[in-house]
Amino acid sequence: MKTKPYLTLEDCRKVGAAAMSEARKNNWNVVIAILDDGGHLRWLEAMDGTTPFNSQVAVEKGRSAAVSRRTTKSWEDRIAAGRNAVLNMPVLPVQGGVPIMAEGQCVGAVGVSGVQSHEDEQIANAGIAALGLGK
Amino acid sequence: MSLKSVLTVTTLGAALLVAGGSYAQQPNPMDNVPDKMPNDIPYGAPISLERADAALAAAVAESKRRDWKLNCAVVDSGANLVSFKRMDGAQLGSIQIAEHKARAAAKYRRETKAFENGVQGGALYLLTLDDVIASRGGVPIMEGGKIIGAIGCSGGTGSQDEVVSKAGVAAVK
Repeated sequence: MKTKPYLTLEDCRKVGAAAMSEARKNNWNVVIAILDDGGHLRWLEAMDGTTPFNSQVAVEKGRSAAVSRRTTKSWEDRIAAGRNAVLNMPVLPVQGGVPIMAEGQCVGAVGVSGVQSHEDEQIANAGIAALGLGK
Repeated sequence: MSLKSVLTVTTLGAALLVAGGSYAQQPNPMDNVPDKMPNDIPYGAPISLERADAALAAAVAESKRRDWKLNCAVVDSGANLVSFKRMDGAQLGSIQIAEHKARAAAKYRRETKAFENGVQGGALYLLTLDDVIASRGGVPIMEGGKIIGAIGCSGGTGSQDEVVSKAGVAAVK
């Protein structure tokens, strides 16, 4: 039987803290969501001054990245390249969702919403980097 | 119509009359109009992330101490999710339930136990109210007599969920 790594709440705390400090460093107010490999919410923090919209979007970006094992930017890029059919797929194709890959397998994802999309992704990447998994 | 069936109809009619009569004599408690509104608690400013996290840290610590695996959520005074933690090994079905309990506690300005008690006592109309959850474990977070948010926990029995929620509330009192 195959086994795979598991994202613990302690891991989520590390990722969340690193992502949060990246956001604070830049004076950005965001919602950070961490989901497991099934796209189920594991950890969420909404910084003061964010909107309910941000919470929904952060979770949806994270879910999309977790279940597809791809960044939501890759989905956005496909649409931008003219692949309109992607709009009908069950993902939110907006940059800011990044899968967490460990030992070649997806163990979850981070979704961020609150600032510009590329900045959201920057925060997500900073969070994941705290796990020291490499690329 | 035979004599027998006439008798049956008459007897049934009389029985219905008696039943109707005894029903009318019992006052419907729902008709009572109290002078004051129940749960007339003002909404305050939304809870800060810092306090929400302090509440959840205490809740998760209490749950861990007892070796329970729960989902814990805090919403603000607008019933919006502020912070959420799913402990290792907690059941997936409780992700939504934890948030639902917190949301219902904030929206209805009372512990979700009130709904559980009501339904247990036969007040089934409660289940027709929007976004109600009739299970204990959702508790408002108050500050200066105002409601600033609520915590909801789920994954154990209702009583276990409630213990953990209250540990969270106690940490930010």
